[in-house]
Amino acid sequence: MGNEVGSEWIRLIVGAVIALAFASLNALFLVWLERKVAGHIQLRPGPKEVGPFGLLQTIADALKLVGKELITPSAADKKLFVIAPVLIFMPVLVGFLVLPFAPELIIRDMNLGVLLIFAFSTFSVLAILAGGWSSNNKYALLGAIRSVAQNVAYEIPLLLTVMSVVLMVNSLRFSEIVQAQGHIWFIFLQPVAGLIYLISATAETNRAPFDIPEAESELVAGFHTEYSGMRFGLFFLAEYTNMFIVSAVATSLFFGGWHGPFGFDMKIPGIVWFMLKTYFLIFVIMWVRWTFPRIRFDQLMNFSWKFMIPVSLANLLVTAVVLKFI
Amino acid sequence: MSYWKEVINGGWSLVEGMRVTFRRLYRPVVTVQYPRQKVELSPAYRGHIEFVKFKETGTHKCVACGQCQRMCPSNLIKVQGIKERAKGRKVGTQYFIDFTRCSLCGLCVEVCPTKTLKFSREYELEGVSRWDGVIDLMARLGETRP
Repeated sequence: MGNEVGSEWIRLIVGAVIALAFASLNALFLVWLERKVAGHIQLRPGPKEVGPFGLLQTIADALKLVGKELITPSAADKKLFVIAPVLIFMPVLVGFLVLPFAPELIIRDMNLGVLLIFAFSTFSVLAILAGGWSSNNKYALLGAIRSVAQNVAYEIPLLLTVMSVVLMVNSLRFSEIVQAQGHIWFIFLQPVAGLIYLISATAETNRAPFDIPEAESELVAGFHTEYSGMRFGLFFLAEYTNMFIVSAVATSLFFGGWHGPFGFDMKIPGIVWFMLKTYFLIFVIMWVRWTFPRIRFDQLMNFSWKFMIPVSLANLLVTAVVLKFI
Repeated sequence: MSYWKEVINGGWSLVEGMRVTFRRLYRPVVTVQYPRQKVELSPAYRGHIEFVKFKETGTHKCVACGQCQRMCPSNLIKVQGIKERAKGRKVGTQYFIDFTRCSLCGLCVEVCPTKTLKFSREYELEGVSRWDGVIDLMARLGETRP
């Protein structure tokens, strides 16, 4: 018994270390990928000077950020100001605990995994609000207010679509949800839910076209206007890690997690399938960012309250009725 | 029903937009990596003025008439010449322009009676002082007379 508790601890610690290392590497890679995708969409080459294909560019940028001075505005609420970047990054890491990378590669297969991940992702709103408010800067405050309104609005359709998947599987455990998609992915059974999930996830991570909390044309940089150095770096890291988590959750909820399409695994290990799909979804999010212009704030709220929430509610209702009479 | 029509049309326009950007992803890059690659200049490109080197004489035909100097709206041309033989023509010996003030109007090229001025194709004209903008046209031609 004692031995088992010990091994559980080791599993957690090793998992946390791997998650931390992976989150940083992933963010470095994603920033590079984003710049490359943006470049090629605009017929530019993107970063290409530092390292092969510019791969080391983000490492150089990170080094620069680490070397910069951490400025705290004199009028800021100092404690909150310092704590906000940590607060935004910590819950993001928690997400890695329950993500089902492969059948045997889950740090902790909780029976409330889906709930845990969404409960903790709500934390980032709090961190953004804390950061924006404590900066004592009107742009930062406006960005924070917008972010809260937006996140509250888009969390509802997000959770409603997740609910319809959970209804089908009757479980909040990630491994069971993925197992249920062995033959057919849920995106084919729940196309509306999948689409709404992707849209709300883009809004949840504050990505364009829903990036009004940091709309640089109106708000300088939004909630992180006053942040510099590695504190700003942490916000950045959290954004890209959030993107990964959101895509990984989409992969396991709608795109069959570690399974190949239609039950064909083709002897490829589950983790490869999982990563392929996750990075493809991340690519789609970037592709969307460099295609569509930012939408206005009232349009954003209208879209959520008047369209996405009714549609996702109807979707949930239809799912429930169909499951009842099937 | 027009509401749903709008939703479908709007949704389709989004897909169309994504298609456009995706096609651009694999199109060749148009950026020219400047110091390593250079763009071919347009034939109408105007750099600062320089002398035409005529084949038959192997040199310029400047007669130091000073029309360009007088015509220049920014007054940035300085030309001097000497008379080598008693009954011969005057020959230009010194020709300086201050390119920092030049507006490339081309009046000097137009007014030149011997057609010995033309626009160069020079565009890498960085310098560290304002005197780097002063160009010695005789030196450019490889002709230096005392």
